[in-house]
Amino acid sequence: MAATTYIEAIGRGMREEMERDSSVFLMGEDIGAYGGAFKATRGFLEKFGPARVIDTPLSETAILGAAVGAALVGMRPIVEMQFADFVSCGFNQLVTNAATMHYRWHLPVPMVVRLPSGGYIHGGPFHSVNPEGWFFHVPGLKIVAPSTTEDACGLMKGAVRDNNPVLYLESKYLYRRVKGDVSGEVVEIGKGMVRRPGDDMVIITYGSTVQQSLDAADRLAREEGVETRVVDLRTLKPLDTGLILDAVRATGRVLIVHEDNLTGGIGGEVAALIAEGAFTYLDAPVRRLAALDTPVPFSPPLEEFVLPSQDKIFHALQELRRY
Amino acid sequence: MARVDVIMPQMGESIAEGTILRWLKKVGDRVAKDETLLEISTDKVDSEIPSPASGVLLSIEVPEQKTVPVQTVIAIIETEGAGGVAARGGESAAPDVTGVSAGVGGGVAGGGRGVLEAGVEPAGAGAGAGVLGAGGPSGGRFYSPLVLTIAKEEGVGLSELEQIPGSGEGGRVTKKDLLAYVERRRAASGGVKVSVAGPSPGARPGAGAVAGAGTPVDDPALRKKYPSPAYEVLQMSPVVQRMAQHMVLSVQTSPHVAAVHEVDMTAVVKHRGEHAAEFERREGFKLTYTSYIAGAVVKAIKKYPLVNSSVEGERIIQKNFINLGLAVASESGLIVPVIKHAEEKSLVGLARAVNDLAVRTRARKLTPDDIQGGTFTITNFGVFGTMIGVPIINQPQVAILGTGAITRRPVVTEDDAIAIRSIAYFTLSFDHRIIDGALGGMFLEEIVQNLERFDSGTKL
Amino acid sequence: MDGPSLSRPASGGLTSKDRLDLYYYLRLTRECDEAILRLYRQGKSVGGAYTGSGNEATAVGSAYALEAHDYLLPMHRDLGAHLVKGQTLRNIFLQQLGRAASLTGGRDGTGHYADPALKIYGNVSHLGAMIPVAVGIALASSLRDERAVVMTYIGDGGSNMGDFHEGLNMAAVMKLPLLLIIENNQYAYSTPVAKQSAAARFSDRASGYGIPGLTIDGTDVIAVYDACKEAVDRARGGGGPTLIESVTMRLHGHSASDDASYVPKELMDRWKQKDPLPGFERALLAERILDEEGRRALEEKIRREIAEAVRGAEASPSPEGPEAAEGVFAP
Repeated sequence: MAATTYIEAIGRGMREEMERDSSVFLMGEDIGAYGGAFKATRGFLEKFGPARVIDTPLSETAILGAAVGAALVGMRPIVEMQFADFVSCGFNQLVTNAATMHYRWHLPVPMVVRLPSGGYIHGGPFHSVNPEGWFFHVPGLKIVAPSTTEDACGLMKGAVRDNNPVLYLESKYLYRRVKGDVSGEVVEIGKGMVRRPGDDMVIITYGSTVQQSLDAADRLAREEGVETRVVDLRTLKPLDTGLILDAVRATGRVLIVHEDNLTGGIGGEVAALIAEGAFTYLDAPVRRLAALDTPVPFSPPLEEFVLPSQDKIFHALQELRRY
Repeated sequence: MARVDVIMPQMGESIAEGTILRWLKKVGDRVAKDETLLEISTDKVDSEIPSPASGVLLSIEVPEQKTVPVQTVIAIIETEGAGGVAARGGESAAPDVTGVSAGVGGGVAGGGRGVLEAGVEPAGAGAGAGVLGAGGPSGGRFYSPLVLTIAKEEGVGLSELEQIPGSGEGGRVTKKDLLAYVERRRAASGGVKVSVAGPSPGARPGAGAVAGAGTPVDDPALRKKYPSPAYEVLQMSPVVQRMAQHMVLSVQTSPHVAAVHEVDMTAVVKHRGEHAAEFERREGFKLTYTSYIAGAVVKAIKKYPLVNSSVEGERIIQKNFINLGLAVASESGLIVPVIKHAEEKSLVGLARAVNDLAVRTRARKLTPDDIQGGTFTITNFGVFGTMIGVPIINQPQVAILGTGAITRRPVVTEDDAIAIRSIAYFTLSFDHRIIDGALGGMFLEEIVQNLERFDSGTKL
Repeated sequence: MDGPSLSRPASGGLTSKDRLDLYYYLRLTRECDEAILRLYRQGKSVGGAYTGSGNEATAVGSAYALEAHDYLLPMHRDLGAHLVKGQTLRNIFLQQLGRAASLTGGRDGTGHYADPALKIYGNVSHLGAMIPVAVGIALASSLRDERAVVMTYIGDGGSNMGDFHEGLNMAAVMKLPLLLIIENNQYAYSTPVAKQSAAARFSDRASGYGIPGLTIDGTDVIAVYDACKEAVDRARGGGGPTLIESVTMRLHGHSASDDASYVPKELMDRWKQKDPLPGFERALLAERILDEEGRRALEEKIRREIAEAVRGAEASPSPEGPEAAEGVFAP
């Protein structure tokens, strides 16, 4: 059987949840008849009908707000932002309504917001955003970021079943480049995973930079005989603090990698958690590798300069090892 | 019948392990007490190990070429008759806490605490405060939280930490370095008498002039980077590794400054020339310049005792005795046998002591006692033809004298005439934590004067 | 399958009993607002106090057109709508005083609560932000064939937010069962309506979205009821949303800390003339649906109810504090 691509795995997650639970439905721009800008929902309209696959007007505020309303009264909407960059148009609905309603009203808001995110696709500043930093610190929102086909499907199911608003970050770059098996199992939100064992150093990362980190770690092992553990966070909010601190205690040298911009990125929070929770286990300062603090530029050499890469990770690992 | 353990002895302070070179007996053989049982190698000396008891070799616990920590049981002897020493064989003196042999000369300040353990602080005390400031401008090193945590858990004091060579950035002690040190430090003091006989078999092939620098080793990762035949990848022998560590440690610990003085050895040469034959006839060995130099150094130290001390944190431990180390190059690397209480010896006494050490060094019969407890070291690189050298201080001492080759040279005399003299350059490398240029220069000049104004009427 | 039973009288079909009912709610709303103001001035309430004095006819008349299974998303001057929908005075005051037993456990105040049993989902401070939420509820109602209508409100100021336009547009194009009432009380805080919009009438916006829109006299509770009932029926029958502009007044300032001195005296005088409460009362007395004795009895009843509710709320304990750390996420 042909291996499933990452984007197909997302689709499988949605489809199986919709089959399982009739309260799950989809909303978004161009998702029905067109099958979605990236074809993530191709075939869904035919399979589930227009009542459950709704093409909306071009209105992120209305889409997100309507998702809140529908979720408030017991439905489980999955809405698509055509590009993560556009979620800022509906920002208020997420941070004012979706995030606060359970805290204020003890009412669950079980909605999923799909966010095609990230660069490496020559999309320029408005088609390459990683939005997690905007929402990470808002209490009441959960954020997941799958890096494998298994997790793309599993975390979608986990997100749909969660009774809270979940932002689901899909790396556009990985859509058709990552292929693999999909078991269809639900992946629990809030649990990271060790993708590569190692006790000399650790990379903590998620999303598009997981594979880059694995490659850099393998290269370092081959060239310098050093074994780097790679931790894939999978869920950004809530963070799997236990897994992070275990890895730090085992290794003492930490490199945090993410595609999102450095300043105000999640790496800072992870570094602070490590300083608080594992200070005496540190044999080197905690290091971060992330995109430069710029919008993501359009022309390929510019984009390359800004974004992380396997090579940059490798050199950061070497530096860390030498400390 | 009793069982007696044969253990890996500690061949000097800071020695933590030894390598079995060759078993001279096999299981089942009879051995007599003091009969040579095996040969070992450590970073300071290769030695033959005599059997601690008479009996039958019951078992060999450690095979040849294996390296084990000091105090490891390497063989068991079954003795005849009753009353064999049941536990550790050998006449070990009252065990010290750590690596210093109890045989260190009588008046060791602070009793049995060797240099590595001296000043062990209660765990964590001053660890933070001491980190940046300890040891002065180049001595203070940064210790990461993890390293301090492990140090605390393993009872490694701050001054001890400072002795550990670091492989991290800027010589930083990393977790790996510290754990390796802790492993090596599993030792109480040795004190087992050993005797050394004959050259070590299996001298390492190739690798150039430095004795035992390295043997070819299989290292695929490095091989890839450094392919044959353009490159050779060699394994550093334990001796070389220890030398490397000691040298790095010394340079990191002491800010080295060197002063070079020219010394006119003519008076000494003359005196020696006049007395050499008679001396050799009487004593049975040759009188060397080393003895004269040793005498001059001892005299100078009495005037400037600060150069005969060591440093612990903010304290200077000044010794009121002089254990003079004389560095010697041997097949197994650099060795520094020590003349104990040189301050009590006359020129003849020094000559005898120098000779005794030389003989036993050549015969590989040095005891751990012979190579521990030095307070000042003289190294003679002149024998290689070196005119001026800058030696590295032998920790935990604070100064070392290097003597260059004596050559006949035209010099300008007092009355502006040209004369031919025997000239040498002496270098004093000293620790600028406590010895400044003034003191260094004055001390060195004192040595020079002691030699230049050697009393030709000195009786031997 | 039949929808839920419908009990509200048809547009134009209010009985005398209904009108007495309406009067009760008008007066209850007014007295409750006054009580809230009193608590505020006594320093007993938490945070601000927003009254709907002058808006009672709009709030009460509109909510009166809803069935029990319909949804209400009121604004901050629609206390009357809360009460008509069935909210208790006690809950209103607990919310005002931030007590532990309030519908939000003290986590939010005033009308910012939700009561799913009554299908009331309160407002947030970001005006207009609940309109898309109302649209979502209407969508759910439609998808689940609930035949439930969603009624929500916005002010003349708030109707200029993007949420208003995006929400109304989506509800219109999807033909959702929504009734959006613009309460045009002429002032958004201190900003008069002429500075809010160049349109002559807010209800004109409706044609921009392809839906019916009308402007009514928001001080006439009957007129409000009739218009809303019609719109509710249209929505319930699948006819899509209606935009109603209810021209009303604001007798006090924006909040209790605002004295409304920017309202020209002549306008305020005119408003006082058109105060919905005395007007309706006069009409009922005139038609002998209400007599003086009945009026006094009702007045007394209302005062007792309110006093009791205030007493009960004041006696109710405040939250301790640590519970604030809990409840961010649903389990």
